[in-house]
Amino acid sequence: MAALTAAPARPRKLLASRKTRVGILYALPVVVYLLVLFVYPIISTLFLSLKNADGSLTLHWYVDALTGVNLSVLITTLRISAETALLSLVFGFILANAISRLRPLWAGLAMLIVVVPHFISALVRTYGWIILLGDKGLVNETLAWAPGAPYHLLYNELGVVIGTTSMMLPYTVLLLYGVMRGVDRGLLAAAASMGAGRVTIFRRVYLPLVAPGLASAGLLSFILSLGYYITPALMGGPNQTMIATLINQQVTKENQWNGAAAQGVLLLLLTLAGLLLVKLISSLGASAKKRSAS
Amino acid sequence: MIGLRKTVAGRIALTAVATVILLFLALPIVVVLVTSFSDNAFAAFPPDTWTLNWYKVLFADGSKWPAALSLSALIAALSTVFSLIIGVTAATALTRSELPLRSAVYALVLGPLVIPNIVTALGLFLLFEPATMLGSPLAIALGHTVLASPIAVLILIATLRGIDERLEDAAASMGAGRLTIARRITFPLAAPGMIAAAIFSFITSLDEFYISQFLSSVDTVTLPVQVYNSLTFEIDPSVTAVSAILIAFAILALALVALVRWLGSGRQDSLLSVETVTATAAPGGEAA
Repeated sequence: MAALTAAPARPRKLLASRKTRVGILYALPVVVYLLVLFVYPIISTLFLSLKNADGSLTLHWYVDALTGVNLSVLITTLRISAETALLSLVFGFILANAISRLRPLWAGLAMLIVVVPHFISALVRTYGWIILLGDKGLVNETLAWAPGAPYHLLYNELGVVIGTTSMMLPYTVLLLYGVMRGVDRGLLAAAASMGAGRVTIFRRVYLPLVAPGLASAGLLSFILSLGYYITPALMGGPNQTMIATLINQQVTKENQWNGAAAQGVLLLLLTLAGLLLVKLISSLGASAKKRSAS
Repeated sequence: MIGLRKTVAGRIALTAVATVILLFLALPIVVVLVTSFSDNAFAAFPPDTWTLNWYKVLFADGSKWPAALSLSALIAALSTVFSLIIGVTAATALTRSELPLRSAVYALVLGPLVIPNIVTALGLFLLFEPATMLGSPLAIALGHTVLASPIAVLILIATLRGIDERLEDAAASMGAGRLTIARRITFPLAAPGMIAAAIFSFITSLDEFYISQFLSSVDTVTLPVQVYNSLTFEIDPSVTAVSAILIAFAILALALVALVRWLGSGRQDSLLSVETVTATAAPGGEAA
């Protein structure tokens, strides 16, 4: 009761500082935890990638990571990620577009089929693909009449890209669905009323409106594919070794920590560059939207 | 709704393509579920004969699956507890207080979600290796918490933002202490979100592969690592049954989250409706 009567007499500033103190106190666990178990390990990875056996500074782990076999693994990683991003963008665009035209009930059901797989272990879904794409799997059984069957769909790049695309697809569909639902239908109707054809409306009105979303969705699936390990390792052949596989091998089999650290840092830098680009695109898109609205 | 004059053929084509893409997402999961009951676990998709054999093999003597399952469950339980503690405190700090450097804290929380898991796993390996903690379930649980806690924080931020702060203020104005408000108002309203956060933390840890693989030893093999090993090194058909169980578990967990959300959705409305009733009743009362 005493506190209650005293409260109004206290200046607001004090109240604010109490709220600040409480905030800092409650933020401590997450900040300390992530600094110790997330930021510090990454910084020590960075140091390790710059250190010689005798402790002096060097860049030779990066030279190693960017030459010979390691360079070709890096290029493979970029290539597979680009293929995955392109495919999941195209599939994601078609599916999100189709879902955005459905009635709410059907759209909800379709989104369930998109979202639920995302919460199921990637390992398990990869295993499903291995069963499906095998020489005697469902896909080859269904295509048995086709010339050239059975097709080799596993342990090559096609297999890897099929697998990774299905892993990235939920992201692109979710992102694009959100963007497409935000498109002002009135603009499309306005263009149509002024005599624009379907192709013109699509190209001149719809596409520019969803373009920033398309760019971020594509970039995001590219970034997420870069560090992928499970699907390429299980569904690919020796020519589909990706950088994450290499990092894993160097740590668990070859005890080559410095090399692994350098490749980890390269992967991190590529990811951060991609994220920066996503941010740039979304701010460009926002300013374009503002311009078209005014 | 690109063109407003839709052609029937165009609509049918789009529906067909969209259905194929949905199948592309669903088939790998369906095929694992079906194959787990098939006599021949590796070939021939629509199975000729059905069996429960792979599930029996799972729990037979000498099977390595029960140990992997219980280890994964233990680790997931530990990291759920850690994630909830971190999640509740962090979400409170980010939604209910004046926090300096709020956006920096927020960026730190998002970090583990955007940085490749293999990089996080490598860093944790370099942290725990010198501490000779490789193979320790605690180390794996601490590692999983790095990935699970940001998810818990995000869910709980959304939960706390969804709770009308006027309810807390009203309780405070009537003399309720901070603990009473937390216990009687905030906690009951946040409970569905906390359950969702717990479930998602548990699943994140249960399915986590990269950190587990880097931190595991011969004696501590988690379920996903065991599944991976079964798919690469040793042909073990019982992996189908384990995969099917993991799918069933994930779907069950999602259903549980949906159920809890649905049950909890009415609560705040029922509390607030009292307020709206009194608010609309008051002007009338004054006039009379």
